[in-house]
Amino acid sequence: MRFAAAALIAVLSFSASAKETVRIAFVGPLTGGNSAIGLGGRNSADLAVRLRNADGKSKHQYELVVLDDECKPDAGVQMATKAGSDRTIVAGVTHYCSVVAMATVDTYHRFALPVIVWGAVLPDITYANDFKEIHRVNGTMINQNETNAKFMSERGFRKVAVIHDTTDYGKGHNKYFSQFFQKAGGQIIATFGVTADQQDFTAELTQIKAQNPEALYFGGLTPIGVRVRAQMDKLGLKAQFDGTSGIVNDDFIKALGPLAEGALAFREGAPAEKLPGGRKFLEDYNKQGYSNPPEAYGPFAYAAAELLMDAIDKVGPDRKKIVKELANVTDRDSIVGKITFDDHGQNTVPAITRYVVQDGKWVTWEESEYAAGKRKLTNGK
Amino acid sequence: MRSRAIAALFTALVTAYAWLLLRAESQGAIAALILVGIAAGILAMRTQLLRPVARSLGSNERFAQGLAFAAVVVIALALRDDDFALLLLTRVLIVIVACLGLNVQFGYAGVVNFAGASFFGVGGYTAAVLASSARLPHLLVLLAGGVTAALAGTVLLLPILRTRGHYAALITIAFALLFRTFLEVNDALGGPQGLKLGEMRIGPLRFNDPISAGPFEGSFYLRYIAVALVLVALAFAVVQRLDRSWVGVALDTVRLDEIAAASFGMDIARWKIAAFTVGNFIIGVAGALSAFMIGFIAPNNYSFAESLIFVSILLLGGIGSAWGLSLATAIVILLPEKFQIIQEYRFLMFAALVVLTLLFRPVGLVPRPLRRLVGPPLS
Repeated sequence: MRFAAAALIAVLSFSASAKETVRIAFVGPLTGGNSAIGLGGRNSADLAVRLRNADGKSKHQYELVVLDDECKPDAGVQMATKAGSDRTIVAGVTHYCSVVAMATVDTYHRFALPVIVWGAVLPDITYANDFKEIHRVNGTMINQNETNAKFMSERGFRKVAVIHDTTDYGKGHNKYFSQFFQKAGGQIIATFGVTADQQDFTAELTQIKAQNPEALYFGGLTPIGVRVRAQMDKLGLKAQFDGTSGIVNDDFIKALGPLAEGALAFREGAPAEKLPGGRKFLEDYNKQGYSNPPEAYGPFAYAAAELLMDAIDKVGPDRKKIVKELANVTDRDSIVGKITFDDHGQNTVPAITRYVVQDGKWVTWEESEYAAGKRKLTNGK
Repeated sequence: MRSRAIAALFTALVTAYAWLLLRAESQGAIAALILVGIAAGILAMRTQLLRPVARSLGSNERFAQGLAFAAVVVIALALRDDDFALLLLTRVLIVIVACLGLNVQFGYAGVVNFAGASFFGVGGYTAAVLASSARLPHLLVLLAGGVTAALAGTVLLLPILRTRGHYAALITIAFALLFRTFLEVNDALGGPQGLKLGEMRIGPLRFNDPISAGPFEGSFYLRYIAVALVLVALAFAVVQRLDRSWVGVALDTVRLDEIAAASFGMDIARWKIAAFTVGNFIIGVAGALSAFMIGFIAPNNYSFAESLIFVSILLLGGIGSAWGLSLATAIVILLPEKFQIIQEYRFLMFAALVVLTLLFRPVGLVPRPLRRLVGPPLS
């Protein structure tokens, strides 16, 4: 029996192919609470690989190796080691969860595996080290909140209360938003950290209501965002709801119905449907019949996979050469806007898009009736 | 002599299988290997083929342990430059140590502990804090991880002694949730973002440098495997000596019938405290080594779900059975990993396999044998 198995391994590991097969890894959360975004990212990276293979112009046949980090650092390091120690994998599109991305940078550096982070927003991932292997296509939460704070103060909001979840995501958002908003002359009248699975926010919202803020800044993901917004209404707290990239998805609107109207949110990257490449991305994505939508960060995973395959097409499947080639990425067109890596591998021109919910849809601010003056934000001037 | 030969042959077969499984990369090979494994298991159960093997392992215990030790060494050396396979192997060894600790509580004294991962985490966080601040030798840091976990356990002593059954279980669950929240709001411990650890060092040995001695080149994980293997051997020795001695008999009595034990003048509280503390110590040491090896810890690693995995390893292996939990650990760690090929469905498959095993073999894979203090082996 065992010899048969050994023979089987030998047969199966031999695959005949005219073109050289090049493997790149995708690592993201495929199971657990963040799996929707992970699956969207995986499908998008998969789409990039399929289109490139179907296109036929590339010298290489690409294969995507999909690994699940479960949004846990230990599983993440395990998967990073798997990708890094497998010499047939030459590059990676890696991680949505900041905590995992932070845990794995050392591993990628050790194995000299060039990676592009497709979703994690913690600034330290690229800026707390000098590793040439680590890159990121999406912006950090710094950019997002700078735009947000500027936007709010320009619209005349002065007194803002903050609710954020106590994960790195929520805490980081709170930190940068408060910093930029106060610099712009605004005032944070109350700040509440809540756990990501809290159900009832009556206590926090009652205290906030007593202080009568003009807007409520929410740093967190959709599930508690929905609860906070719904309970604001129940308590009669009339304040502008100002969210982060974590709530820009259809679930937020579906769960809230008409209550979602007028909610603000900010996200890195130009909206895919506004760019020529992006429209094509959405069409192609739908054609493949994936069972999940690409979600907010799918286009970034797609763009990251594209960047890697461009580099491999140019310099060949060699980790060191790919790292060198990625350093030259400047002003590159992609479906999320222009991409330029700075000396830390961070994309420096992340366009931030401002969104507002209008008639059950996330609409960019520029195109909304709010900007045209036909509708008004709560307490807006 | 013949009996030893059977044990050696069996170990060689298992070793070869483990090596193949750790190496296997392609979907077909993994699927074939897993099917072969399941088929062999069912066949062995049906045909009583393993009887002579079990008897030979049981009557040559020292020899069998030596074989197992040698088998791990052989696999580690055979895989010497495959970092990922070695990482998996180290993880299996570390979790075996932790589950041996849990086994003292759960399997021997009957003290339920659904916070295994929390004590594992106490060890890990202790290692992270001590390694970055104090200039303690790292072997002592491992010990300190165990001591801190044992101390943290004292918080639970009173409620655990006052409650029984489901209620005691609930208390440990509450502790697990509390521990996680405590880590998340505690910025000194890195909060939800976690803490980074430097490499482990013993004397001049730096654990994260690749090994090269003459013609021999190997992954840096070999050093962690060596330490983990020593820990497994120590934990095994402690746990089995506990089991064999009058202490084990006393713990069994406490588990099986508290009233009877008390009426024989046994101090139940004392035995429960002893088992709980020893168990937590062992879990904590394992946690400290795990933190060093991964190099990064965060509250996500020590969720309640992880504690459940520890408990399911005990159930799967057979409660109280040291060999059983070792086998179960290998299955529980390796299978989900090998199922990566089916991506988001892998935990489904894995869970189904566990349910099926418990359904058709409720006593566990390798049930705990009757303790024999004197006389020839039972056949």
